[in-house]
Amino acid sequence: MVSEANSALSPIALMRREMTAREGAVPGDLDGMAVPLGQHRIAASGFLLRAAEVSFLYRPGEGVVIQRGPGWTAGIEELYLHGSVCAAVACLNGFLPLHASAVVVDDRVVAFTAPAGGGKSTLAAALARLGRPLFCDDTLVTALAPDGSLACLPGHKRMKLWPEAVELTGSAALEQVSADYRKVYVTGNGSDCAEMLPLGALVVLEQGAAPELAPVTGGAKIALLTDDHYCRQFYHAVNGVDGPGQFAFQARLAAATRVFRFARPFDRERFGETTGFLDSALSAMVRG
Amino acid sequence: MTAIRKKPGAYVETEIDGETVLMRLSDGDFFSLGGTARAIWLAIDDTRSAGEIAALLGDKFEAPASELEADVARFLADLADSGLISA
Repeated sequence: MVSEANSALSPIALMRREMTAREGAVPGDLDGMAVPLGQHRIAASGFLLRAAEVSFLYRPGEGVVIQRGPGWTAGIEELYLHGSVCAAVACLNGFLPLHASAVVVDDRVVAFTAPAGGGKSTLAAALARLGRPLFCDDTLVTALAPDGSLACLPGHKRMKLWPEAVELTGSAALEQVSADYRKVYVTGNGSDCAEMLPLGALVVLEQGAAPELAPVTGGAKIALLTDDHYCRQFYHAVNGVDGPGQFAFQARLAAATRVFRFARPFDRERFGETTGFLDSALSAMVRG
Repeated sequence: MTAIRKKPGAYVETEIDGETVLMRLSDGDFFSLGGTARAIWLAIDDTRSAGEIAALLGDKFEAPASELEADVARFLADLADSGLISA
């Protein structure tokens, strides 16, 4: 999907350019295919997301157009723009987005993935407080090499946490995201790093009775990598990959990626203990 | 003796971390085969019968085929129920 004109740009500069947003008129269809309110459509030609409050149109090389509607709030726009719109822009430029927050360990990226509310951002923020440079929050954009290994682009959006997580992690609360969205920013920029780094490990966060870290291998790894909400759906839609092709893709990705499960109790009293447990294991995880 | 045959149009397979992983095309379900299960799967070559597969595994794992026949039959039945082989 990366055009010749784009190939002269670094992946970081390309994503920054393509995520440039401006207000304008957003149509109700993408290439003649109507997209009802509350739905989205992605094709090789672009991405259209329509909601009553705010709609987005992205076409490669043209940036993102935003049309605000009744009920618009900065919080809703922020959620869409840096969530599904960013994932679509990444896919349409040949990148693979992962739903993950990440820190840097020994010049490699350790990414934490979990469903919404699973503690990705909170854990990354806590590890940052322990001295691990923050790499990204919520969306990790990666460039896929032919062997399936992933090079990671530093995060573009500021980390935000629920007030309870700010207190839990001891992060410095900056401003609230918007009047309608209680999360607060805890960083001034998207990443502590300016350069791309290789993915060292992907850690799937789970709830468990006690802190437990275990490597994931074989088919379980493929299954875990498959389950990544809309990111993978966008990627396969843009690249026209069918079921067997998706399986081959996931297998290639799984073979080149170290994956771990990290289970811990959702217990505020034990948060410091469980975070320290993981922190002490991180270097060994990326050394393999 | 009936030859056990795979249904190549019913799945795709790959090798990862020493496991054979199959995805059933009808519903996208995964089957991860390691150890003896993987050995049985690899022994299915469209010519061997269940008994011949048990004998082959007996050689491989240095166990009497008679001890393996029940396990092989059970696993082959599972594969057939899953639509991955015909027997």
